[in-house]
Amino acid sequence: MKKIVVPGDKISDKVLHIPHAYAEDGVTYATVIGFLDEGRYTPLEGRYKPIPGDTVVGIIVDSRRVGYSVDINLSSSAFVASRDLRIKLNLGDIILAKVKEVDEIGNADLTDAKKLKPGKIIEFPTSKIPRLIGRKSSMLTLIKENVRGDVEVGNNGYVWVSEESNIPLAIKTLELIKSKAHLSGLTDEVAGFLQKEKGE
Amino acid sequence: MEKPELIVDGKRLDGRAPEDLRPVKITAGILNEADGSALVEWGKNKVICGVHGPRECIPRHEASPYRALVKCRYMMSPFASLDEHGRSGPSRRSTEISKVIREVFENLVLTEKFPKTQIDVYIEVLQAEGGTRVASITAAAVALADAGIPMKDMVASIAVGKAGGHIITDLGKEEDNLGESDVPIAFSKRKKDILLLQMDGLLTKEELVKAIDMAEKGSREIDDMQAEALTKSYEGAKEKKVHL
Amino acid sequence: MGEEYTDVIMKRVRKGVLLNSLKKGKRYDGRAVDELRPVEIEKGVISTAEGSAVARIGKTQVLVGVKFDVATPFPDRPKEGVMMMNSELLPLASPTFESGPPREDAIELARVVDRGIRSAEIIDLDSFYIEEDKVLGLFLDIYVLDHDGNYLDTSALAATAALTDTKMPKIEEGKIVRGEYTGKLDLKALPVATTFVKIGESWLLDPSRDEELAMDSRITISTTEGHVCTMQKGKGFITRKDLLDNVEVAFKKGNELRNILKGD
Repeated sequence: MKKIVVPGDKISDKVLHIPHAYAEDGVTYATVIGFLDEGRYTPLEGRYKPIPGDTVVGIIVDSRRVGYSVDINLSSSAFVASRDLRIKLNLGDIILAKVKEVDEIGNADLTDAKKLKPGKIIEFPTSKIPRLIGRKSSMLTLIKENVRGDVEVGNNGYVWVSEESNIPLAIKTLELIKSKAHLSGLTDEVAGFLQKEKGE
Repeated sequence: MEKPELIVDGKRLDGRAPEDLRPVKITAGILNEADGSALVEWGKNKVICGVHGPRECIPRHEASPYRALVKCRYMMSPFASLDEHGRSGPSRRSTEISKVIREVFENLVLTEKFPKTQIDVYIEVLQAEGGTRVASITAAAVALADAGIPMKDMVASIAVGKAGGHIITDLGKEEDNLGESDVPIAFSKRKKDILLLQMDGLLTKEELVKAIDMAEKGSREIDDMQAEALTKSYEGAKEKKVHL
Repeated sequence: MGEEYTDVIMKRVRKGVLLNSLKKGKRYDGRAVDELRPVEIEKGVISTAEGSAVARIGKTQVLVGVKFDVATPFPDRPKEGVMMMNSELLPLASPTFESGPPREDAIELARVVDRGIRSAEIIDLDSFYIEEDKVLGLFLDIYVLDHDGNYLDTSALAATAALTDTKMPKIEEGKIVRGEYTGKLDLKALPVATTFVKIGESWLLDPSRDEELAMDSRITISTTEGHVCTMQKGKGFITRKDLLDNVEVAFKKGNELRNILKGD
């Protein structure tokens, strides 16, 4: 049975080493709100925590001799080294990159950066990103077809929609998914919504 | 002005029994721009809390390399009192309350996960009727959870005290002003550690023990209401609006 | 995200893409250039205040409280009541709002809302006279709770709504008897504000947060049914033609807002 747990609620009578939880005296407790379903804990909220290998969408916010500072929705900028890039970047450019490594403080270094065309960046809660992509990318494909443009989803909660897309539709669709991420049948509902919008 | 009898036939001024709480309503997720938010309507108190963070620590030189700083600001609105229009800005009272509330959450927030950042807890009392600080702590706990900021535990706060010779739970405005003692207190949910404790008035040791028992019992009711508010905000698809 | 530093960069990033969208005739939320976001008003929400209201335009939310106190009249107007307005851009309303004394934005907000109401002369301040050296002071506080663009129009709307909700306090022996009232505050008109921003070649009514960040120019026009009662140009410039075109829209949309005020 699915139930919501809040910080401090017990999620297991054993010691589990999982994120967003802590163990004390042999018992594991949640640290953020989440779903507890048959012993499985799914945390619902939280700031983006970069992990090596993550795909991120970022904005160049500063340039230095050795590289660029990139806003990836963290409290401090990530960094991408000039020698790791095949291209030159400008302030305000949007990039798609991979997280190379993360230090103890949480600062991220990026690699494999690709410059994206001008577009709109929409913020989306990181915990709901899996819903936005969908099983086998079904949801994301549905969105791309309907907004008629390129869409890139960063694990960091930044979604880039290319400028020739139907941006208002993308924004509306993401709002819908955001508000109903925890409900089932979402892909069908979004498909229905997009059909309706097309008709208008 | 004649001082009213605070307890008559075991009933308080508003008809409550000594251990009864005023009606409490908690709503989570009512603001769009804050990372987390909550509204607590407690008796005639209306307190709203918004949380931003973890975010860059400003000023930079204050930042800790080991952990996030928890910052708290408690403020009364100028229209919160039925009496005069209040002045804007901090007062000595609001400064002290901001500090003791911050000290509640410094116990709970897992600050070492976000070094060099700050977490801002903003509390605005929109309507006041005795017990704003306990309502504020109750709201802040929900707002922090709503923001997804990791905490060891939740915390519920309540004021107990003595009025008309009886130990009572959840003091109203007159009981606060005219009673014999007022003890605002906050308990962590799981272990019931005391995270806020203040007092004025006079209590014997026995009276204090009874007051703490009653407070613990009352805090469990608040624990449940906080959990319910958070559950509700995750169940339905709803828009974030402040309904006062 | 550190807004102060990246703001300049973000404005450029946002503006270019927004301009392209506008060239195709689309605002990000699908609105027409002269369309308001959904408007909601709730009155009588703070029982400790003599009048109160919450207004929402889109996701922006503002609370206004009205309180009366006995005050000393101004020496040059000894028989007239006084009216003071203050505003707070509460830090919980936006990560870009700082704690501390009111900065220029908060002060401008209070003064523009005040001018709209005062110029429209909707309150008969002579009726606030109590006795020699004593008048009623009306204190209106604007609390911006949630900032998703255009808190100015939302504040003006909440202020007028709170005034329509305001009850006159009972006065006995030169003092206010709290909790007792003698009828409603009489209002002669309902001023509302309508703000326009220019991005590229388009003037847009009721800017969302994105649009505010990308704007080149801004103008607020407050109206009652028959009059313009205040105007405030913010950054940028406006041509004579555009101003008069916007005034037309201001009256039209102002009436829409007035209907919502009356309907509640």
